[in-house]
Parts: sequence; C-alpha cells; structure tokens
Amino acid sequence: MLKKLTQFYYPKTVEEACLQLANAKEKTSVLAGGTSEALRNDSTIEALVDISKIKELSYVKSDSSSIAIGAATPVQDIYKSDLSGVSGELLKTAAGKIGSTLLRNAITAGGNLVALFPWSDLPAAYMVLDAEVVCRKGKPKRTVPVINLINSKPAAFLDKGEIVAEIKVPVFKKGTGASFAKMSKTSNDYSLITVASRITIADGKIKEARLAINAITAQPVRCEEAEKLLTSKKPSAELIAEAAKKAVAGLKIRKDYRATEEYRKEVCEVMIRRSLEESIAKAGK
Amino acid sequence: MKLNVKINGKKFDLEVNPNAMLIDVLRDAGFKSVKSGCNEGSCGACAVMIDGRPKNSCIVLAGQVQNSEILTAEGLGNPETPHILQKSFVDHGATQCGYCNPGSLISAKALLDRNPKPTEADVKDALDGNLCRCTGYVKRIEAVLDSAKIIQKGTKGNK
Repeated sequence: MLKKLTQFYYPKTVEEACLQLANAKEKTSVLAGGTSEALRNDSTIEALVDISKIKELSYVKSDSSSIAIGAATPVQDIYKSDLSGVSGELLKTAAGKIGSTLLRNAITAGGNLVALFPWSDLPAAYMVLDAEVVCRKGKPKRTVPVINLINSKPAAFLDKGEIVAEIKVPVFKKGTGASFAKMSKTSNDYSLITVASRITIADGKIKEARLAINAITAQPVRCEEAEKLLTSKKPSAELIAEAAKKAVAGLKIRKDYRATEEYRKEVCEVMIRRSLEESIAKAGK
Repeated sequence: MKLNVKINGKKFDLEVNPNAMLIDVLRDAGFKSVKSGCNEGSCGACAVMIDGRPKNSCIVLAGQVQNSEILTAEGLGNPETPHILQKSFVDHGATQCGYCNPGSLISAKALLDRNPKPTEADVKDALDGNLCRCTGYVKRIEAVLDSAKIIQKGTKGNK
C-alpha cells in the first residue's frame, strides 16, 4: 500500500506532466496503468502524476520505416492493432502474451519498460528490434536506444521531470525474421523465461543477429556473445546449438520458487535454440 | 480526496482515501457484485469496466478513475430484467457458484461491445483473465456465443 499517498495530479499534456514532476516538493512518481504502483509497498511516495489520460501519449502508428507507440498506450491496443511485418508481428505477439485481457487493458507500452520487472514481456522484444525510446522533459526530447535505458535502469536514466513518451521501432525489410516466446506456469502467470530473437540474412549468411532474454535473469539482457558467434556465418543446426549453449553459459539466474535454476537453464537453452530456428526460418522466406 | 465518478450511469461524489483501491470504494458505495478474490490482479473476480475497458479493480487506485465512467454487473441488469448475457449465463448453467460471474459478465460485455460477432477463440481470449474455481469454462463460452447470436438476431431483450 502507498501509505503516504495524499495527492493525484491529472496532467492533460506531456509538458504539464513534466512540469508537475519537476516542480514537485513531495516525493512524486509517475502513474500510467498503475498495476505495479498499486501493488507496491512504498511508504515514501506522496503524490502520483497520472499520465494515462494524456491523449498525446496513447497511439500506435506506423509508416514504411518505423512503428511508433505512445508510452501510455495500453498493451491491449498493440495486441489488437493491425500492425504487420516483422516488427509489428513481434510486438503483437509479445503484447498478447502479457497477463490477461484485464491486465493488458491497464499495463502500458511504456510502463512495462520503465517499471522493468524481470518478468516484463515487452523489453526483450524492444531490444531485439533495436527500438529507440523518446524521452521528453517538457518540450525538449532525446531519442536513445532502448538498451541504454535498460542497462542503466530506467529510474536512474531519466532526469527529474523527464518521462518516456514514445517507443520507436524500425521496420525490417525482406530477409529478416523474429521470434518471441515465454514460458510460464499458466498463460496468466509471471514469465519464468522470456526469449526474443531477430535474424537478418543476406547472401545466405547471417548479417545481423539479436538475442535477448528476460525473466530468468534479474533484468532483460542481450546475449551479445551468442550474437557475435552467429554473425557472418551460414545458418546451420550446429551453429544454432552452439549459440544457444553460449547464451546460457555465463547466465546469472534469478531465483524463483516456481522452478529450480537447473531446470530453467536447461529449458532456456532449448527455447533459445527454437527461437533462433524460427527467426532463421522466417528470414529465409 | 474527492472522487467524481459515474457508476452505472449515475453520478457519484465520493470522499475516499487517496491510497484506497477501487474495489473497496465500489463495495463501500454498495456495489457488492464487485468481488474480492486474489487482490493482486490475477483472478478477475473484481473486474469492472472503466471508460469502456474491463480492468481488475483490485489493482486500480481510486484516484485513477477521477471523472471516469464505471460499469459493474449491477449496471447490466437485475433479476427482474436481466441483461441478455446474464440470462444466457443462467440458461447455460454457466453460473456455477457465482463468485466469478460479475467479473466474467463484464469481460463478456466488453467483448460484445467491441466485437458483436465473436468466434470461440475471441471469447476465450476476452475471458482469459476471469478464473473460475468451479472450472465452468465451457458453459460460459457457450453462453457468450449464444448471447451474441441473440443480439445479432435482434431478439427482444434488455439493452
């Protein structure tokens, strides 16, 4: 329970929200879908800035080069959107695997990234798609690779009065395939292992490889060594198996009472293998 | 804090604690169809429609619904004049023990509002957040599909 909470702010624009956050004298936090905030036992938060009603933060748009998603867009809107192509399909799949309809109506595209729990589903998808995040501090904005935000923890990365306003995902042309998979006890339960991958093939060789995992780790990570191993090689079953082995080798596995570390490590390797197989098969089409 | 909301079409001006959860505010205001199950957003017994979207009211802070419109199962119909969905749940024996019904009905209503011709897969998808401990999962799907047909035919019902 948020014991000390006394104040709600309802900004109508991003600028207003940033101003309220920047000028706040009390300990203030951003509220979007509220699913994590409501369950948080934080007795220091005194005020919340509710950005979920800011219209300019809720949209799913796409053109020939990129997809743009407003930070306060409920993930249900991504799941039910008519996005297509490699990036669009992957985002829809990942969004659809989040909890249930009731949760997807609350959880937002930006909140799933900024609250950044181990079991958050979208960050791994954002990472393999080389997504960028538009952060706004009133009018001024900066566009940064999503990995920067994740690696330095979103809360620390954002300045006072700065919010994530948009997630931008590039569109990939022919020769690229992607895959997203999640293992959990039930489809509604927290993820135990999340695996996302993207492969771009040119002239029979892997030109670009992306592999990201979450849930089994404390935060989403890119498996850069495995990516390097795959790059510039001809895809084969042996190569995929080797990359999967490499990806789980040095993994720092988060404890979870739902399943042992040994079990999850073994399953993770299999999931990575299948994920790469799927991405490669789709890229070849 | 003051909370202005419309619940089932009626305006309310409530005095609530800023850290109160919507489920408690609704139950205190007399809307007892809103059930408390898991209290962590997993089971859907507390589902209500907020501005047209079904959500778990146990993980919505009351302050988040300022000036919103809320629909609970009470707003669907009553024993004398039940909503088509409510009648269909009864006719199909989808009621079971009843505890998950208000939430399931809200999810079903939200589905039919958006998609009047749902497939079985659509219904399963829409009700995926409403757990039924009696495991009455088949009959409620039949009930929702049947309701959709009745509404399609324009058979006289309520609402």
